[in-house]
Amino acid sequence: MSANNIFAMASRVIRQLIRDRRTIALIVIVPIVVMSLITYALPSGTGVLDRYAPSLIVTMALLFTFLLTGISFLRERSQGTLERMMASPVSRLDMVLGYIFGFFIFALTQVLIILLFTIYALNINYAGGLWQIFFFLILIIVMAVCLGIFASAFAKNEFQMVQFIPLVIVPQIFLCGVVFPINQMNEVLQWIGKFLPLTYGVDGMRQIMLPEPILAGFKESGEILFGLGTDIGILAAFVIAMSVLAAIGLRRGQS
Amino acid sequence: MDTLQKIQKPAIQTKHASFNYRKIKAVDNVSIEIPRGISFGVLGPNGSGKTTFIRILVGLIKPKSGTVSTLGHPPSRKLSRHIGYMPQLPALYSELSIRQNVDFFARIYGIKNKTQRQKLVKEAITMVGLWPRRKDSISKLSGGMKQRVSLACAIVHKPRLLFLDEPTVGVDPALRVKFWEYFRSLTEKGATIIISSHTMDDAAHCDSLAFLREGRVIAVGSPDELKQATGSPEASLEDAFLYFVQRKEAERVSK
Repeated sequence: MSANNIFAMASRVIRQLIRDRRTIALIVIVPIVVMSLITYALPSGTGVLDRYAPSLIVTMALLFTFLLTGISFLRERSQGTLERMMASPVSRLDMVLGYIFGFFIFALTQVLIILLFTIYALNINYAGGLWQIFFFLILIIVMAVCLGIFASAFAKNEFQMVQFIPLVIVPQIFLCGVVFPINQMNEVLQWIGKFLPLTYGVDGMRQIMLPEPILAGFKESGEILFGLGTDIGILAAFVIAMSVLAAIGLRRGQS
Repeated sequence: MDTLQKIQKPAIQTKHASFNYRKIKAVDNVSIEIPRGISFGVLGPNGSGKTTFIRILVGLIKPKSGTVSTLGHPPSRKLSRHIGYMPQLPALYSELSIRQNVDFFARIYGIKNKTQRQKLVKEAITMVGLWPRRKDSISKLSGGMKQRVSLACAIVHKPRLLFLDEPTVGVDPALRVKFWEYFRSLTEKGATIIISSHTMDDAAHCDSLAFLREGRVIAVGSPDELKQATGSPEASLEDAFLYFVQRKEAERVSK
């Protein structure tokens, strides 16, 4: 591991995105549009959004970060720069860490926009300190960056990468309890859900963000699965496993 | 190992190196020794295994059988600092400027000192004649210019061993002459250059050549030696190539 290489990678990734004005505009606008759409599609004045906001924020963070990293890493592969880096003294772990740091800033910006927009513009009721929410989201973002790099190892072009959304993201959304309560699902699916990181993201975020009466309701109906500490621990384990898998996955498609 | 021994070790040595993509033999039982301080051309038609051979030497892929040693050691990340590699695709970051691209590669090749890096980056970009356009994005450049930036990225850290995969494709004749003057100056300073090409114009500039066909080396020698082997005094390198192809065919038939 070399701090110089990680820093070089990260600052290059940041420069690349900054010079691409349209992408920057999309990073800001898209989450606002999507969150507004969801909000106004829900019945108004019923407090439904208060119930859904924590899981929606986590889901959006995962989806956007996964996409951004996945596609950009895929380009690295298809334009040949990945091969060039492979021939250089940079280790695969340095590449993954460099990407995590570089993308982190953009993913964080995007997630902050989602969070602040939901809280202040859409006026939801929430509990927990902003910094608690913030730190929990950081964990989700880092996990999503690694997931994006890992998935890109299995895609040969953008077309295939986009198809990973239904494969990697959609099952997580359906099995994490955003749409249906986990404890009412088919037992096999419940079991599968326990292997998916978004399940722990949603579970943890609900415990941080949901206002007390709603959280009590969730607990009563058995929709809160684990303690917050367990969620954080398992997410951290996912981060480590994913970054190692992403580094291993970099070799794929090289020969 | 003492210094003298190191100097005596050839720049490249392969023993029975083979590589196949499933059933296609891309590199077939190649044993070759390349001394230090020369320019060595790997010549052959499309699909003759030039790129695969270079990727093996760079250490991007491992031979399925046989051994490879570069600068006296098996290819490794530690060694890669002394190696420059220009892939066939330009392999650049299209959003970034010429200078940002070259600077990134200088950095990951271990040139940490900023002043020194700026000097080397300027030198490399000036060599390829693009210093006045250093602030332009890669996406604004023509194919030949991208090729030149790609070369600048490969030479910026002053490697001892330089691999160039078809470096003169799309480069105009005047600049080609300049490239060759520069390559010559590098070998005079003791660097070794391995160049793949399918044009006999490049071949004539090399100190030594290997003709490659269907993954096999069919002849090795200096341009003059290869031309003389045909027995006709006015033979060109094309003639020499065809001569060796026919000779191999005849050998195969007689077997």
